[in-house]
Amino acid sequence: MATMTSDRRGEPRAGRRPDRARRRTTTAQKQSLKRTVFLLPGIALLGLLGIYPLVQLVWMAFHDVTSATINTGPWEWVGLANFTQGFALGETGPAIGRTLVVVAIITVFGMVGGFAAAVALRTSGWWSSALLALMVFVWALPPVVNGSVWKFLLSDNGLVNAILMGLGRSTPVPFLYDTNWALISVSFVGAFAVIPFNALVFRAALLAISPEVFEAAALDGANRWDEVRHIMMPAVRPTSLVLLVLTMVYAFRSFDFIFVMTYGGPGTATNTLPFLGFLQAFARFNFGYGAATSVLAVLVVFVLAVIYARSIRKEES
Amino acid sequence: MNTKAGPVNIGIKILFTLLYGLPILRIVQTSFTPSADVFNAQSNLFFRPTVAAYAANLGPDLLVALRQSVLIATGTTVLVLLVAIPAAYGLARVSGAVATVGLGLLVVLQTLPQTAQIIPLFQILGMWGLLDTLAGVILANAAMLTPFATLLLRPFFRSVPIALEEAGAIDGAGMFRQFFAIALPIARNGILTVMSITFLLAWGEFLYSVRFLLTPANRPLSVLLAMQVSAFGIDWPGLMALAVLTSLPILAVFILTYRLLRDGLTVGAVK
Repeated sequence: MATMTSDRRGEPRAGRRPDRARRRTTTAQKQSLKRTVFLLPGIALLGLLGIYPLVQLVWMAFHDVTSATINTGPWEWVGLANFTQGFALGETGPAIGRTLVVVAIITVFGMVGGFAAAVALRTSGWWSSALLALMVFVWALPPVVNGSVWKFLLSDNGLVNAILMGLGRSTPVPFLYDTNWALISVSFVGAFAVIPFNALVFRAALLAISPEVFEAAALDGANRWDEVRHIMMPAVRPTSLVLLVLTMVYAFRSFDFIFVMTYGGPGTATNTLPFLGFLQAFARFNFGYGAATSVLAVLVVFVLAVIYARSIRKEES
Repeated sequence: MNTKAGPVNIGIKILFTLLYGLPILRIVQTSFTPSADVFNAQSNLFFRPTVAAYAANLGPDLLVALRQSVLIATGTTVLVLLVAIPAAYGLARVSGAVATVGLGLLVVLQTLPQTAQIIPLFQILGMWGLLDTLAGVILANAAMLTPFATLLLRPFFRSVPIALEEAGAIDGAGMFRQFFAIALPIARNGILTVMSITFLLAWGEFLYSVRFLLTPANRPLSVLLAMQVSAFGIDWPGLMALAVLTSLPILAVFILTYRLLRDGLTVGAVK
């Protein structure tokens, strides 16, 4: 807890005898050290199946690994060839661009949609409760289920096109067949799937606002928009920073809806950086090449992870 | 406080109700529609319900897949809890460099793309002879979900007052006794939340299972669904019936743990 760390780091306060303070510290440290025992199962599992694979991924990225040699070896050292090949063939560059589009769409819709839902669901009543439960249920569904239904809804004869054609469109929108639309469609479903979670997090922050604040604002003649703008938005600001990073990480690594709805297609239209690495390894069986692409993806999330880890520590201190 | 909904508010609620309600309705409705009528606009409203799609799905293959799903999701949940509960407690109680490094590693592992980890895991599990086994998939799933579970649980253990454990120590309770008898019961809600969410995620996981389980008889429901939806000439009623069957256990877990998910999910995600 906080008391332990502040004891250790803080200067002994005036009036307290220094040796006493030190003795307390050593007991706390000993207690703390003994409790690392609890970390051992985690270290074993994540060392063997988290860290070791990550090291192996980097190792593979610098070698020529194919389906013939993946299990038997030897892997030939190729230096940066796997990395340069990706750029030379024009695969990595466009994949980075597509990933940025996906991250941008999911992040904007995920954050704005989550906040809008949280504000709307803050009101009391059965409708808000039922809608919140419905959204959390959809969030909890397997991604293959959500991906399947949206593939159905966005098909040429699907519900969305039926509505659009009922409104006067003469031809169906090629949501999953057009290269631009396909990227937008999978991003939209990614945002759809993350909005309920973000709404829950925003809602928790909104519920923490004391009712007196709203009462005072009402006395000052604040309307609903003023409440949103001057009370709710400032109240969720600390939360939004962490949630923003989490949403970007989610968007960056999302592959489920690409796998189910387009499998990277049409052509290469939905080959984002993480999915491209997967295809290079498991559709073309060039594991070294796929590993190199994946290492680039890992480097990006690493930056986001550092920001996230620092925000956790800051919030706790 | 304006607790009554204004017009904008009602508009947003209608939008979200349609956005999240319609897909669910369409899944269920399509699963009861005859194949020939799927894209017939009139029969979308006035359709003759049929259980043909369910009858076609129900068979020994489905039961095998169901068994695999249950084994994978349960096995993953048990393993994750066995590892994440002590780890979360440990990280809530240790301080200094160990905590910093531990937390940093967890965050990095949590953010790694699954599509990246699957490449070395395919080789490593092959080397250990664990490809095409449930154990391999369960281990890979557990390694993927443990960082998240630990980070979600840690704040629950942090909120257990350390004075309680100190009082236990004065009464002669050792370190493990303090953990089992004092910290665990207080963090009960957190543990149930993590249990529920790990089960949901493991039930829906399909990438590891698609790649690691090569024998068709080993595949769980999520893989059957993923393979049917990427096939040519999709039989939509059959697919939607399978989606409903795959989602029913999720519905059960959801009903049992909704309050925990609603209130507990936001604790670890943000703090």
